[in-house]
Amino acid sequence: MPSLAVDRTRQILADPAFRELASSRARLRWGLSIATLIMFFGFIALISAAKGALGATIAGDMPLGLVLALGVIVLVVILTGFYVQRSNARFDDVARTLNRRFGQ
Amino acid sequence: MIRYLLAALIAVCPFTASAETAVAGTHGPDRIAMAMFALIVMATFVITWRAAGKTRSKTDFYSAGNAITPLQNGLAIAGDFLSAAAFLGISALVYANGFDGLLYAIGFLTGWPIVLFLMSERMRNLGSYTFADAAAFRLDRTPIRLVAATGSLVVVLFYLIAQMIGAGKVIELLFGVNYLFAVAGVGVLMILYVTVGGMQATTWVQITKAALLLCGGTLLALAVLWHFDFSLGKLFAAASAIHPKGAAILAPGGLFSEPISAISLGMALVFGTAGLPHILMRFFTVKDAAGARKSVFYATSCVAYFCLVIPLLGFGATAILMSDSSYFHVGASGQFNKIVYLIGGPNMAAIHLAHAMGGPVLLGFISAVAFATILAVVAGLTLAGASAVSHDIYGQVIARGQAAETREVWVSKMAALAIGISAVLLAYAFENQNVAFMAGLALSVAASCNFPVLVMAMFWRGTTTRGAVAGGLTGLVASVVLVVLSKTVWVAVFHFSAAIFPYENPALFSMPLAFLFVWLFSATDRSARALREHMAFDAQFVQSEIGAAHATNSLTLVSAAS
Repeated sequence: MPSLAVDRTRQILADPAFRELASSRARLRWGLSIATLIMFFGFIALISAAKGALGATIAGDMPLGLVLALGVIVLVVILTGFYVQRSNARFDDVARTLNRRFGQ
Repeated sequence: MIRYLLAALIAVCPFTASAETAVAGTHGPDRIAMAMFALIVMATFVITWRAAGKTRSKTDFYSAGNAITPLQNGLAIAGDFLSAAAFLGISALVYANGFDGLLYAIGFLTGWPIVLFLMSERMRNLGSYTFADAAAFRLDRTPIRLVAATGSLVVVLFYLIAQMIGAGKVIELLFGVNYLFAVAGVGVLMILYVTVGGMQATTWVQITKAALLLCGGTLLALAVLWHFDFSLGKLFAAASAIHPKGAAILAPGGLFSEPISAISLGMALVFGTAGLPHILMRFFTVKDAAGARKSVFYATSCVAYFCLVIPLLGFGATAILMSDSSYFHVGASGQFNKIVYLIGGPNMAAIHLAHAMGGPVLLGFISAVAFATILAVVAGLTLAGASAVSHDIYGQVIARGQAAETREVWVSKMAALAIGISAVLLAYAFENQNVAFMAGLALSVAASCNFPVLVMAMFWRGTTTRGAVAGGLTGLVASVVLVVLSKTVWVAVFHFSAAIFPYENPALFSMPLAFLFVWLFSATDRSARALREHMAFDAQFVQSEIGAAHATNSLTLVSAAS
């Protein structure tokens, strides 16, 4: 029985569909994580580097810093939404199929 | 049924209030606030009583039988996360500092994508009750659980004490009751929710709170916008015309001018969120990893919406309150400091704004919302702390996974009682102490102990028990020591003249140190156990990717691999 389980783990790991699922999910996960961190820490760096410039107003009466902050908030929602949408549309089906194929 | 009760409660709230004023126009704002507060407490009792009937097994108690829907869970996560510190504290920061306050809100929000990408799915696939389940999946149960439980308890206790002291002060101000009575009252309520209704009751208290907070915030923001003809330009112009700092409030100021402090604080906010035990625990209340994922999306949307509303309240409070001396302690000369002399301190900005915008009715409603906010957060923290004691320490370490369900749930209830009582006593003891460091310390420990251990155990094959324990403890000790040596404790509490550690937040140093130690002590681990743990990574990897149907075989897989 235990050796069967080990065999199944090996089979799943060797399965092309699983490998594709794992690698594309890893790309999405780490890519978006790095994008999020660059955005946030870049924003902080920008604030300490170019404080004065962010006080300038654009489009009439909106301060540039506030517009950028707004942009960060909206981007965070877009990034999470994108990840969830991708996972629902692509990865869940593959995971379900793999589970059916290798499940008992 | 609960859903209808909630809907009814939310619908009824404003009407009860207006009826109250109509009947008794002379009643002060306290009466209205009290009535709404009583209504909220009654609603939570109904929730708890109904939940008690549904809470039978261990799974019911810790994770509401995995039967919470993603939308409900998303709201509950937002309810767990948006504390009174976020609602009153960040609006106060915007009131006092303008733009800089908004940066805190963005830091809190940015933790969420990280929670989604790195934590939610794998956690749900690997664990069942607490985040230590996922960390201990292929590592040695006893040491890993002890480190994770210690990290959880430290975070929970410091966060809880900070929340309780804040709660006591706010309730003292809002309802005019004695501080000890306020703290004890909050303690009794949170113990009741957790021990009687478990996760089910806690979840619904959080959903109620999130709905109330989002409605209250929206209402107040609309009132502000309406006051300025829905023109942001007019709002900003009015705010900068009256604020002592003038137009500087619309641009980044001194709060983040020093880059190392800013980055350190940012790391604590972002990675600390991804290591908060009461948040991580919420992923087990949904059916599967897809549900966990969707709930983070809903939670992120709520928090983001809140980040848009909060600055409106802060700038609105600046523009509207600062011109009205009746909201301030005015000196004999008729002069007053527009920030620190606000009655009750700047933290009351949003509450005063409610009075200025909608009179006693809106004041009562927003006060009651602030109260509900406090209750939901402390209940979630207590449950997370109790679970760390009963599931990780008692169930898995002491009883080695053989504890009877009823016995483990009993231990959990006793732990909730003990945590609740200690929190009340500590909040009473620290009433007049400077506790500004506590919330920051909780986040730093979450970022430097819980987060590195969990991420390395889930993502790096090479992690061994020795490495995870060394890294986790290093992160924990480093955070605590650096906070003690920093200005907030060394100078403000111990009254030394200069701080030894020059930055306020240690995360920039303690978190990389924790990762370094996990790596170092894992890479040099040549024991047989380390080899088994490397081999077991395959089974963990498969389950963390495709989960579900595999879950029943997990134990066979791990023991097979060892």
